[in-house]
Amino acid sequence: MRSSKIIRTIAQKLFPFIVLFGFYLISHGHLSPGGGFQGGVVLGTAIILLALSHSIEQTEKKFKSRWLNMLEKLGILTLIFLGFLGIFLGYSFLSNFLPLGKPGQIASGGLMLFFNIAIGIKVAAGVSVIFYALVRYRGEI
Amino acid sequence: MSIHIPILIIISPLLAAFLVLLSRKYKIILATASIITSIVFTLTLSSRVLSGDKVTYHLGGWRGPLGISLVVDELSLFFSLIVLGLGLLVIVYSMPERNYGRTYYFLLLVSLSSMIGVIYTADIFNMYVFYELLSLAVYLLIAYPKTGVTLRASFNYLIMGGVGLSFFLLGIGFLYAMTGTLDMFHIAGRLPAAFDSSMQMVIMSFVLIATGMGIKIAVFPLHGWLPDAHSMAPSPVSALLSGITVKIGIYCLIRVVYTVFSTEMFLLISSHNILIVLGVVSLLFGASMALVQKDLKRLLAYSTINQLGIVLIGLGIGTELGLTGALFHVLNHAIMKSTLFFCAGIMITETGTREVKGLSGFGRQQPAITFAFIVASLGMIGIPPINGFASKWLICLAAVEAGYTFPVVIILIASTIAAAYYFRVIQVLFGGSLKQGPMPAHEGEQVIHRGNLFRSWPIYILAAGCLLLGLLPALGISLVKPAVSLLLFHVVP
Amino acid sequence: MTPINISLLVFMIGLYGVMSKNNLIKKIMGLTIMNGSIVLFFISIGYRKGGLAPILEKGTTGDIPTIIVVDPLPQALMLTAIVIGISVTALALALIVKIYSKYKTLDIQQLSKER
Repeated sequence: MRSSKIIRTIAQKLFPFIVLFGFYLISHGHLSPGGGFQGGVVLGTAIILLALSHSIEQTEKKFKSRWLNMLEKLGILTLIFLGFLGIFLGYSFLSNFLPLGKPGQIASGGLMLFFNIAIGIKVAAGVSVIFYALVRYRGEI
Repeated sequence: MSIHIPILIIISPLLAAFLVLLSRKYKIILATASIITSIVFTLTLSSRVLSGDKVTYHLGGWRGPLGISLVVDELSLFFSLIVLGLGLLVIVYSMPERNYGRTYYFLLLVSLSSMIGVIYTADIFNMYVFYELLSLAVYLLIAYPKTGVTLRASFNYLIMGGVGLSFFLLGIGFLYAMTGTLDMFHIAGRLPAAFDSSMQMVIMSFVLIATGMGIKIAVFPLHGWLPDAHSMAPSPVSALLSGITVKIGIYCLIRVVYTVFSTEMFLLISSHNILIVLGVVSLLFGASMALVQKDLKRLLAYSTINQLGIVLIGLGIGTELGLTGALFHVLNHAIMKSTLFFCAGIMITETGTREVKGLSGFGRQQPAITFAFIVASLGMIGIPPINGFASKWLICLAAVEAGYTFPVVIILIASTIAAAYYFRVIQVLFGGSLKQGPMPAHEGEQVIHRGNLFRSWPIYILAAGCLLLGLLPALGISLVKPAVSLLLFHVVP
Repeated sequence: MTPINISLLVFMIGLYGVMSKNNLIKKIMGLTIMNGSIVLFFISIGYRKGGLAPILEKGTTGDIPTIIVVDPLPQALMLTAIVIGISVTALALALIVKIYSKYKTLDIQQLSKER
């Protein structure tokens, strides 16, 4: 199923901006509405937009299924590892051990930024993998 | 490091679950090692908990009504030991099957970890999140062999479980609106003031939470998912479901009733009568439906509804004897039903058919497994030297003491019906010769032997547990008594 | 018609959808409507009269402890609840795809007659 040339061109040109918006949402999670899950879904939507406007096979060649699986597992292992860092440095699990900066700046929430990044990557990979798995049955039904 | 034990008990199976996805060779070793680690940690906690002071752990260092804490008291310890012990036996039982890939062990470990999460957490929304995680893992485990019947059973369970947990979440919403905090012990402190000002909201939240948990426990009107889900799942998963997962619903119900809503409020809306009525109806319904089943695992699934009715009667009576009997029956039913489902798994693979008629002659071929089956089914009926008798006797005694004689009559009738259907199965087992030979893949002697070793040892251990708890019921009651005395006599802090 | 009453009404509509529609996808839609109504319920509980959004912006004038904000805790809880709702919906849709490829029908009355 090939979309018209307008849709394909606009989707290609919009893709970097959607990815940038996703990273903005992830990194400003502790300052404004947003956070790990929301930014991750926007990143996943960027990949889904490409898959819908071009063909699935082309998108899967660029964003390989195996890499997305690896990223997903890496995301959750990073989260558990950051939790354990809290234990090793003497506080409780998942507690904050970085200095709190001034409220209003990016480097102010302590460990929240890293949690948001790990969750954002995991959710982006997860949403894309779910989409790939559900769409692959297109030809078999 | 020792103060971090509660969170390590939850994280170790979860971490092992994600590591299992990455490696194919070490999946079984990782799974068993993580569960054994959790059991060891739980046993080190038990000495401190049983001496009366509960272990609290604040996640992230946030204390008080703002943060999520993990609290291990005697009730949590009791349930978590059941969960971890049976979880280890389920993993051992599913080792010989070559078809279970990494996803199966991943789902099993995630479900065990989230069960411990539900049991240990002291924050009611965190309990909902872990319970949803458990339900998702279980839906996938039921649908693991992707045949038509398992997919339909899993979908049925998904819809009803989703609705039930939505009711639970709505009840949590009402509780938060009234008290402004989510920590269960702090809600218990602030709830009497809210009860004086708006009684209907408290009752509404209790009804919603109880209905949500009722769907997960499968009391009579809300049981529709249980026969399909428990019978069509693969055998170790059936044992996990019937043995442990429905007990988590009972734990949530007990925790919400006794810790969040104190006992006086519970009596004010006469819910103990409702619980006893529902228990009696589930009892009769489960027994009658099990009598007419031709499929062995469906019979065992309806028998679960039967036994959970007895637990609900015990909970509804609410005296010390009734609660002791109910919690002891939870332990006994977990052990007995797991034995029965493990034996059923072996019987189904060896004779190739799921119907009771097709099992004839199995008793002569494998007498040890049949002996374990007989021990467990005698316990389910309630015949003296096995543990089921002790717990049913305690509940009947509690009912007579509190003045309810009708449930006792119904329990005796249901035990007679249970005797009818279990003896029918045992009679077929010792019947004529095997109608159908063993499966072609099992013809070589070596294959049968190695598979049977890992599959039969959990059955022997569980059957020995049944006999031990039956001959020395004081052992079982001493495990249950700290939990009961916590629920009834300690002041909620 | 306060938002709390409307959310309970939508919850009942979702429950009606789950119970009485025969198509599997409509049942999933009912479940999603129920989840959405619970999100509306929680957020409308957190409303305080005259409250601002709980975001600390640059150059916020006035005394910080006396600004009235709406309660941020239900909003954080609802993020988690939305994620859980999405996971359950995704799993249910995956099961529906497999059921359709095996039985070629999505009607629950016909599916319950299958053996």
